[in-house]
Amino acid sequence: MIAYAVTILFLLLAAPLLTGVIKSLKMVLLYKRPVSVFQGYRTFSKLLVKETMLSAESSQITRVAPYLVLSPLLVALLFLPPAVSGAWYVSFVDAFTLTGLLSLSTFFLMLLGLDSASSFGGMGSSREAFIAAMVEPAMVLTVFSVSMMAGDLGVGAAGVNLAHRFPAGHTASFVFAAISFFILLIAENGRIPVDNPETHLELTMVHESMILDLSGFYLALIETAASVKFVIFASLFASLFMPFGLELPLLAAFGVFALKLLLIALAVALIEVNTAKLRLFKVPNLLGIAIVFSFLSLITFYVLGA
Amino acid sequence: MFSFDALSLLFVGLIVLGAVPNLFYTFGYLPHIERKSHFLVHYFMFIASMLGVVVANNALVFLFAWELMSLTSWQLILTDTAEASTRKAARFYFFMTHFGFVFLLLFFLIAGNGELETAFAQLKIGAGAFAYPTLLFFFVLLGLLSKAGVVPLHVWLPYAHPAAPSPVSALMSGVMLKVAIYALFRFLFDILYPWPLEWGVLVLVLGALSALVGVLYALSEHDIKALLANHSIENIGIILLGFGMGMIFDTLGLFTLSSFAFVAALFHTFNHMSFKSLLFMGAGSVLHRTHTKNIEKYGGLIKAMPVTAWTFLIASVSISALPPSNGFLSEWMIFQSMLGSSQIAPMTLKLAIPFAIFALALTGGLAIACFVKAYGITFLGLHRSENAEHAHEVNGAMKGGMVLMAGVVLSLMLVTPFYFTYFDAAVQLLHGKSVYALIFPEGIWQMHSVAVYGGTVSPLLLLGLLIGVTLLLVMAAKLIGVKTRCHRSWACGYTTGPRTQYSATGFAGPIRRFFSWLYRQNVHFDKERVAGHESKFSHAHFDVHVTPLFERSLYRAPVRAAQVLSYWVYRLAHFEQTRYAAMIFNMLLLVLFSYRIFAHEFSWATLLLESTVMAISLKILVIGDRK
Repeated sequence: MIAYAVTILFLLLAAPLLTGVIKSLKMVLLYKRPVSVFQGYRTFSKLLVKETMLSAESSQITRVAPYLVLSPLLVALLFLPPAVSGAWYVSFVDAFTLTGLLSLSTFFLMLLGLDSASSFGGMGSSREAFIAAMVEPAMVLTVFSVSMMAGDLGVGAAGVNLAHRFPAGHTASFVFAAISFFILLIAENGRIPVDNPETHLELTMVHESMILDLSGFYLALIETAASVKFVIFASLFASLFMPFGLELPLLAAFGVFALKLLLIALAVALIEVNTAKLRLFKVPNLLGIAIVFSFLSLITFYVLGA
Repeated sequence: MFSFDALSLLFVGLIVLGAVPNLFYTFGYLPHIERKSHFLVHYFMFIASMLGVVVANNALVFLFAWELMSLTSWQLILTDTAEASTRKAARFYFFMTHFGFVFLLLFFLIAGNGELETAFAQLKIGAGAFAYPTLLFFFVLLGLLSKAGVVPLHVWLPYAHPAAPSPVSALMSGVMLKVAIYALFRFLFDILYPWPLEWGVLVLVLGALSALVGVLYALSEHDIKALLANHSIENIGIILLGFGMGMIFDTLGLFTLSSFAFVAALFHTFNHMSFKSLLFMGAGSVLHRTHTKNIEKYGGLIKAMPVTAWTFLIASVSISALPPSNGFLSEWMIFQSMLGSSQIAPMTLKLAIPFAIFALALTGGLAIACFVKAYGITFLGLHRSENAEHAHEVNGAMKGGMVLMAGVVLSLMLVTPFYFTYFDAAVQLLHGKSVYALIFPEGIWQMHSVAVYGGTVSPLLLLGLLIGVTLLLVMAAKLIGVKTRCHRSWACGYTTGPRTQYSATGFAGPIRRFFSWLYRQNVHFDKERVAGHESKFSHAHFDVHVTPLFERSLYRAPVRAAQVLSYWVYRLAHFEQTRYAAMIFNMLLLVLFSYRIFAHEFSWATLLLESTVMAISLKILVIGDRK
């Protein structure tokens, strides 16, 4: 129970750090002078004390939606697989619930975009809706495939099972599912090549344009939601697709888990530096690759048993 | 004559749950209707006839109530006949519903051996004696699915349901479609029971197609009621996905999974009744206050119509299958039953079912997009027209109806186990296998899947956690003492206005573009240029029309064929006498050549030669030049 609480707290606290690490890694790779990895915390504390501006055109939804964007993600955080073996975890919540919670958060984010009566918000919502609709099938199929390899649809139980006995006979379908899930990680978190988290250019942005009219406390909530979402995906990838190192002594296991998260951040940063952002209408091609890999994973599992 | 078994009573319950809030709403809506007595007579007859259908126990009573249901709903569509489109929709509905009726009648005549008064249980003997059970299955499908609006028999639905007054739309979409689902349960189990595998697969494919086609056409729709009607097609598809999985599992002998899938289908039937009725009531209220169905003319209505807006939000979350709503729970069950496909033996089927999963997941994603559009454009932002600006909240009775229906939606989420006892009783009656104890093995807090490696969901816990975390965040905001100030949205130095917002057309733009092979859109873009400048214009109008592909290919193509045929019949009847003489000569040639080819000796060379001669003589002598 203590390990469980510590893991959740660690993930929550490390969330801004992880996005900060990606950002500074990217800057190092681009020969720029990097910002501090702790910039996320500074921004957060600054936003908390600033006055919150509300758009006069907006309705009650703008006052309610930021909470509902963050709270499903915080709830999802409670259901992640354990970082160390023997720790308590929520065993019964399954992967559909988890994807559903992520969709719930996105749903309110999209409503938020439409509420401020600015065309930027609508543009972001429209694009996000398009991408989210394409992500959904790949997500469900990947989950299906992983649940069969892990022998359980419950997220926590799947992570433990995979760590306990790795499905060495099904490496091929395991790798296909991992590729699919990594593409989803990039797409759902709005990283390059799907969305560029750093521009404020109307031609390219998706996530940023939905939250353009927020400030102060509400912006802090949404920024937290974005980093928590990344940490959820990173931790899921670490637990489901890198299932090793849980049996080490407590501190070492935590260390390995943190290293895995850093490794994912590094991979994302490398991809961001080396690719250009895709046009919006090319994004379905990338997500189509994810869908194909998830189908491949299932078919390999069924037909070849590999 | 009547039967009151668990299935019938379950659907009586569904009709009552759908009709009671609707009565309140209708009471509030009544001043808006001109022909009150005409409306009320048909309205109550309509509800009574639906009750009649679900308790009927022989073909005569069933067909009588079914026909009464069709006729009263047809008259209800014609409540307000001012618009030509309404009359056209009613005519379309009238034809389609009787098209289905013919097949049901044929089914009963064959199964009952000409006798219409035998009880359903005895019809099984007649149906079993008939040599072609698949023909009977097709009659049932054509008869019922044309009523339920399943692709490709769905074309009437987006016209007919929106044309009716809003409370009637809510009843037709929410309740009447479910009566067809009831009949599907009743006939397939009581009369046609041992099913071949292909039937289940067919139902599954129809369900997947309907779900996708329904949601895709809903996305491109600007008429809010037609949008909701298209979503009915989608949800009937989802119900059929569950039903088809149940049929497949039953044939393969996996009875537990099969019962689970049937319970999922029944659960989604109830869910769709609740949220679709609520959505139609909300749309009706908006329509009532703004006098337009065009979604582009709404905007900002949450400020003037808070009750409508918040109840509509509950229904939107539920229909988008977002946790912890009831819509999520039933879709979760259908997903779980599909995951059960990993246990089945036939490899082809095992590999095919992931495609159904894909269809259901894509439908879910697109439904979210569609309801963000419907909700955001209708209720959020600035008013897009004068009408929306002057809108205000509807009267107490209509509000009462919506709040009651929202209560039904919430009850399906909060007291799921209570409803499940009845679903389980119905499925046990039909199928002989109870799954209640397997779904709730550890009390009512967790719902379990019966599939191997299946998952668990706990709606109440999830709801509690969501509320708890949200309250914590709100308390944190209070603790910090967040100061707020209102100011206009920043729009890069311009002012925001109704016309600078994203429109519904624009919102669905990316999806419309990606699925352009389905939509075949016609874009109309007119602008009045200022002094010939390409980029300067005083007034512009942008409009997109989507080609109704099914309507054109499946319904208009036969019409076109009939027209071509009748043109030639006409030509034939108006020939000169010389042409008739030429035709007789051609006939003679045909007989001689056919004798030589088919009876005397056959060779490809002569066949080719002689058909060429025939064709030339037909063209020159009979057809002649086209005038």
